[in-house]
Amino acid sequence: MIKIKAKDVDVFYGKKQALFNISLDIEENQVTALIGPSGCGKSTFLRCLNRMNDVIDICSVKGKILINDFNINDKSCDVVRLREKIGMVFQKPNPFPKTLYENVSYGPTIHGMAQSKQEMDEIVETSLKKAALWKEVKDRLHEPGTGLSGGQQQRLCIARAISVRPEVILMDEPCSALDPIATAQIEELIDELKKEHTIIIVTHSMAQAARVSQHTGFFHLGQLIEHGSTDKIFKNPDNTKTQDYITGRFG
Amino acid sequence: MTEAPHTVKSYEEELKNLNANIIKMGSACEEALGKAIQAITTRNSDFAEAVINDDEKIDKYEALIEQQVVNLIALRQPMAIDLRETVTALKMSSDLERIGDLSKNISKRTLLLNENLPKNLVDALNRVSASVQKQLKSTLDAYLERSAPMAVNVWEGDEQIDDLTNLCMQEVIKYLKENEKNLDDGTHLLFVTKNVERIGDHTTNVAEQIYYLVKGEYLEGDRPKGTEPIVSGEK
Ligand SMILES: Nc1ncnc2c1ncn2[C@@H]1O[C@H](COP(=O)(O)OP(=O)(O)O)[C@@H](O)[C@H]1O
Ligand SMILES: [Mg+2]
Repeated sequence: MIKIKAKDVDVFYGKKQALFNISLDIEENQVTALIGPSGCGKSTFLRCLNRMNDVIDICSVKGKILINDFNINDKSCDVVRLREKIGMVFQKPNPFPKTLYENVSYGPTIHGMAQSKQEMDEIVETSLKKAALWKEVKDRLHEPGTGLSGGQQQRLCIARAISVRPEVILMDEPCSALDPIATAQIEELIDELKKEHTIIIVTHSMAQAARVSQHTGFFHLGQLIEHGSTDKIFKNPDNTKTQDYITGRFG
Repeated sequence: MTEAPHTVKSYEEELKNLNANIIKMGSACEEALGKAIQAITTRNSDFAEAVINDDEKIDKYEALIEQQVVNLIALRQPMAIDLRETVTALKMSSDLERIGDLSKNISKRTLLLNENLPKNLVDALNRVSASVQKQLKSTLDAYLERSAPMAVNVWEGDEQIDDLTNLCMQEVIKYLKENEKNLDDGTHLLFVTKNVERIGDHTTNVAEQIYYLVKGEYLEGDRPKGTEPIVSGEK
């Protein structure tokens, strides 16, 4: 099943074009990895999927992004609802300077998802459990989130993202600030999360893309050069640019 | 290799080195097979001894290639064409090692033959051997050229070897019937013929690997088959 369909997407920062005619289908309940050299437009593309580019004044987006067959670039799109459905995790763990509990309950509060304290407690607990963090933090839910280790903070951000039950989770280099063990924990988590969410991850690690994803797209200078099953991209890509990049023959 | 060089030069060197060792190992096998056939058809014991002694060299190449492959996988995590280069090198080296072994076995049997061989038998053995030698040479050329069509040619040529093997087997069986007192020689000749055919099979395996290396997909369909074997062995 196709969850997201990008069609002929162009993105400009002022006069400078950052993405050229991108068309890409994203499969539901699978992990899609986006790879490519720095500045090729991966983050820009990711931000198209939850209209985060709206907040950048000079940024303009053309083309269609269909999520569940609805064009999110349409005027009638409710951006707040959209961001509830499409969660995002960033490169640097960015917990709010609040308690662990407040970090996770923030979204559900805004979206009015709990009718009682008990319901909110449940949402917080399930989210932390799904983010594989519950065991480590259940006795200090009211301590500040910033007191956690880097890997724990990133899992807290994932708990925060999933607390509003998004259909899609966007991850922009979520492990680049983490050590190998914390990275493995996030990768294991991604594998679990894909059962309930569609995941798109930008990563600089080819090995990580190969390990966590079922589909891979390779961007270069604002173009989507090649996309396909991860297996195919890493064993036998069609395009020489893709091959040069993943085998370390680039420039 | 036709790809642009790697950014990391030492990685590039390691892959080139692996490539060079496959070629050296292949040449050593070509030489072993050539000498083994010459030894049996011309009854040249020196050649037979040389093949037996040189087999160690081929075994060492196999060990070396295996080590290089394990190092590449552990330390470089090769991808795409590099991954295929690495994995096929491992498989090719094990087929080449078998070719070395079988050539050595032919030579050991050569040293045990008592009588001179009838001309018809020598001719038949020469025909199948020449065909196998040509296949092996074409296979190594296909590897050097990274040519899928050349690999397919070898693959299709295996059929002819099956046919020539059967013709040679018929000569051996005739020999056995006419030389009942010399069962030893006859038996050796049966094995020698079978060994030549199996060298052909291993050569075809290598050709299949080359196809995969170049194309990233496996040759489809069953291997072409010639006439049913007269004396069947494991395949
Ligand atoms: N806020 C911005 N303002 C202007 N240009 C930007 C902005 N963000 C990204 N760009 C430009 O768009 C291109 C793509 O950037 P980005 O999407 O961040 O690439 P990646 O994530 O692949 O490294 C780059 O040339 C970058 O300089
Ligand atoms: Mg980026």
